[in-house]
Amino acid sequence: MKIDRYEKIWMWASGAMLCAFFATMAGAAIGSSIGPPSHVQTIDPQKVLSDPLFHQQGTWVDRGGRVHATIVATAFAWLPAQLTLPAATPVTFHMTSIDVLHGFEIVRTNAQATLIPGYVSQFTTQFAPGDYMIVCNEYCGVGHHIMAAKMAAIPRSQWRPTMAAPDVPPAHENGHDSH
Amino acid sequence: MAITTAPTASTDRLTTIWETSPGLYGILASVDHKTIGKRYLVTAFVFFLLGGLEAAVMRWQLTRPDTHLLAPEVYNQLFTMHGVTMIFLFASPILSGFSNYLWPLMIGARDMAFPRVNALSYWTFLMSGIFLYSSVVIGQAPDGGWFAYVPMTEQAYSPGLNMDFYALGMIFLAISTTIGAINFVVTFFKLRAPGMSVNRVPIILWGTLSASIMIVFAAPALTASCILLYFDRRFGMHFFDAANGGHPLLWQHLFWMFGHPWVYIVVLPAIGLASDMIPTFARRPLAGYTFVALSTITTAILGFGVWVHHMFATGLPQLATTFFSAASMMITIPSGVAILAWIATLWYGRPVLKTPLLFMAGFIVLFVIGGLNGVMTAPVPFDWQLTDSYFIVAHIHYVLVGINVFPVFGAFYYWLPKMTGHMLSERLGRWVFALMFVGGNLAFFPMHIAGMLGMPRRIYTYQAGLGWDTVNLITTVGAYVFAVGVGLFLVDFFRSLRHGPLAGNNPWDGSTLEWSVSSPPPSYNFAVLPTVRSRYPLWEDRLGEAPRGGGAAVPVLDDGRETFGTSALDSDPEEVLRMPDDSLWPVLVSLALLILFYGLLLSLWWMAIVGVTGVMVLMVGWFWPSRIPTRETALSPREP
Repeated sequence: MKIDRYEKIWMWASGAMLCAFFATMAGAAIGSSIGPPSHVQTIDPQKVLSDPLFHQQGTWVDRGGRVHATIVATAFAWLPAQLTLPAATPVTFHMTSIDVLHGFEIVRTNAQATLIPGYVSQFTTQFAPGDYMIVCNEYCGVGHHIMAAKMAAIPRSQWRPTMAAPDVPPAHENGHDSH
Repeated sequence: MAITTAPTASTDRLTTIWETSPGLYGILASVDHKTIGKRYLVTAFVFFLLGGLEAAVMRWQLTRPDTHLLAPEVYNQLFTMHGVTMIFLFASPILSGFSNYLWPLMIGARDMAFPRVNALSYWTFLMSGIFLYSSVVIGQAPDGGWFAYVPMTEQAYSPGLNMDFYALGMIFLAISTTIGAINFVVTFFKLRAPGMSVNRVPIILWGTLSASIMIVFAAPALTASCILLYFDRRFGMHFFDAANGGHPLLWQHLFWMFGHPWVYIVVLPAIGLASDMIPTFARRPLAGYTFVALSTITTAILGFGVWVHHMFATGLPQLATTFFSAASMMITIPSGVAILAWIATLWYGRPVLKTPLLFMAGFIVLFVIGGLNGVMTAPVPFDWQLTDSYFIVAHIHYVLVGINVFPVFGAFYYWLPKMTGHMLSERLGRWVFALMFVGGNLAFFPMHIAGMLGMPRRIYTYQAGLGWDTVNLITTVGAYVFAVGVGLFLVDFFRSLRHGPLAGNNPWDGSTLEWSVSSPPPSYNFAVLPTVRSRYPLWEDRLGEAPRGGGAAVPVLDDGRETFGTSALDSDPEEVLRMPDDSLWPVLVSLALLILFYGLLLSLWWMAIVGVTGVMVLMVGWFWPSRIPTRETALSPREP
C-alpha cells in the first residue's frame, strides 16, 4: 500500500508519542507508585465497627487536651445521631463510611467531607455557639433524604466528652490533615 | 462572494444526482446532511420533552415538604434519567443537529466530509437513546445519578439492571459522539469553499470544532470508566471496590475528566450559534471575531484542567485543590471575552429586537449569572459550604439552560425558517421567550437560597420547618411557567408549518452563505459552489470589504456527487471530492451495535457475538472497494 511520506512520518511520530506516554504512565504507576492522589489513611470498610478508632462513636479528648469527634456514616444514618461539641474550640473529626459514599456536611459551615469507604476523612475546625444540622449531601440511595443528624456547640465549660479516648496509635491522633 | 447562477439544465441534473430516493429505502439510506441534521434536532427535542416531563414530576414531588407522591426508588430513577437525558441525549445532539444542518450551507459545501459516517453517528445516537429508554419501559431505569458514583453503583448496592443500562448506554452513545466529532473536524479543515480561510468562517464552526476536538479526547475517559464499571458489576472485578484494593475515587477522576469537558462541549457550539445570530440583529460585524474564535479554543484547552473542582470535598491534597481552584477561576476569562464581544457588538450596532435577539439577551444574562455562581464555588472554602447542595443545582441549571437551551431556542426562531421555509410567529415568540425567561429565573434562582440553607441535592423529600418550603414552592411554579413556554413554542412550530409566512432566501438579512440559497435549500445546497472573499459574504457590498464580481470561473461540479476539497488554512481549492451515494450500511451497523449491547446487557453471549460479527461483516461490506465508476457509468442509471 502506498502511504504518503509525510503521512508515514506522522504515523511514526504519533506512534512514538503514544509509546512515550504509556511508558511515562507505567513508570509513574509502577516505578514511582503514583496513583490518583487520595487520603493517606486507609481502613478496611468491612471492619470499621471493630476498628479501635471507630468501634465507638462520639466525642473524646486526647492526652494533649485536644477535642476529637469520631463519626461513622452508614446508609442511612449518622453515628452518633446527636453531637454536642465545645464552641470556639478546635475539633478534629475522624470519619469514614461503612458502605457507599456519604457527604458529611454541617450546614452553613465549611465542615464538609466526602466519606469514602476504605478511607478515613479527617479535618479540624471550630464552631460558634448554636444549633446546627448535619446532612448527607452525597447521594447514597433511597434513604438519602432521611440521613440527617443534629449538632450543638455549647460553651466549653459546660461540655463533657461522651467517651474515653480510644486506644489508637499516635498517628490517628496527630492525623494527616486530609484537607 | 461571487454569486453565479447555473443553467436550469444543470440544476435539474444536480437534483437528480443529490436527491434522496423516495420511500423506505430513502428514509433508511439517506446521507443528506440536511436530513440528518433535522433528524438530530427532532430526536434531541423529543428527548428534551421527555427530560422535561421527568423534571415536572420531580418538581411536583418537591413542591411541599413530606410529600410521598412517588416512591423514593422512582424519584431516584427520575432524577438520574433527567440528568442523562438532558446532558447526553439533548444538550449535545441538538447542537450536532444545528451543526450538521448548517455547516455545509455555511461553508459552501454540498455535504459533510463523511456523509455515511454522519448517518452512522445519527443512527447510533438514536439506537443508544432507545437502548437507554428501554430501561424505563421495564421499570429498571438507571438510579445512581448521571454521575453514577461508585460504590453505590456496584453490583452489591445496585443489583438490578439499572446501572448496566447506564454503563452500556454511555459506551454506546460515545461511539456516536466520537465519530460525529471526527466528521466535524475533517469537514472544518477540508470542505470550506474556496477562499473561506479559517479567519472567515462563522463562529459556530469554531465552537463546534473546539467541542469536537474536546469530544475526541474526553469521551474515551467515560468509555474506559464505564467499561471498568461493567467489568466490576458483571465479572466481579474490583476496579472500584475498596474492600478488595480498588479505588472508589478512580471513578470520580475518570468520570470528571470526561464530565467537565462535556460541559464545555455542550456550551461552545451554542456560543457559536449566539455569535452568528447577534451580528445579524446588531446590524454590524461581530466585534472581536478573532478573540471570540480564540476564546472557544482556549476554553477547550483549559476545560481539561478543571475537573477536580467537582471533588474538592473528597480530601485531595491541598496542592491539587489549589491548582484546580486557580484553573477554575482562569477558565472564566475566555467566556468573559466572548461576553464582552457580544455586548460590544450590540453596543456599537443598531439592534433590531426580534425574537432571536431576545433569546440572545436572555442568554447573556443567564450566562453571566451562571458564570458568577460558578466562579463563586471555585475557591475551595466556599465550595466546602455548598458542595452537593441546591446551590450547585442552581449553577448547573443556569449554565445549561442559559448557555445551551436559550441559544438553541433562539436558533430555532432564527434558522427554522431556513429549514421549513416558513417563519415562526414574532408575537408568540415573544411570549415563549418571556415565559421561559421568567419561569427559568423563578425556578432556578431560589435554588441558590435553598442550597445556602443546607438543602442537599437529590433528596426525595424534606421535613417542614427547615426554611426550604417557600423556595421549593417558588421553584416548582417557575418550572411549570418554563414548561408552558416550551409548550407554546411547540404550538408556534406546528402552526408555522402550515400558516407561517414564507421565509424567502434571507428573511433576517443575514450575512452568511446559508442565506444565499432558497428556504428550504435544494438537495445539492449550491448549484455553483461559492467563492468567498470575506467574513460576511452577503454583506460585502455594504461593508466594502471586497470587490464584487469577477473572480475565477468555477465549474458546476455536476458529474456525480462532488464537492471541493480545499487546503486546511487558506481554503485554496485542491481537488474535487467524490461524495458517497445513499447507503444502508450505517443503519445496519448501528442495528448490529444495538444487538451487541443488548447481548452484553442480558449476558446473552451468543447475542453479543452475533452483534460483533454483524458489525465486522457490515464494516467489510461498507469498505469493500467498489469499482471507481467512470463519469458515464456513475450517472447512467439515473440519467433520464
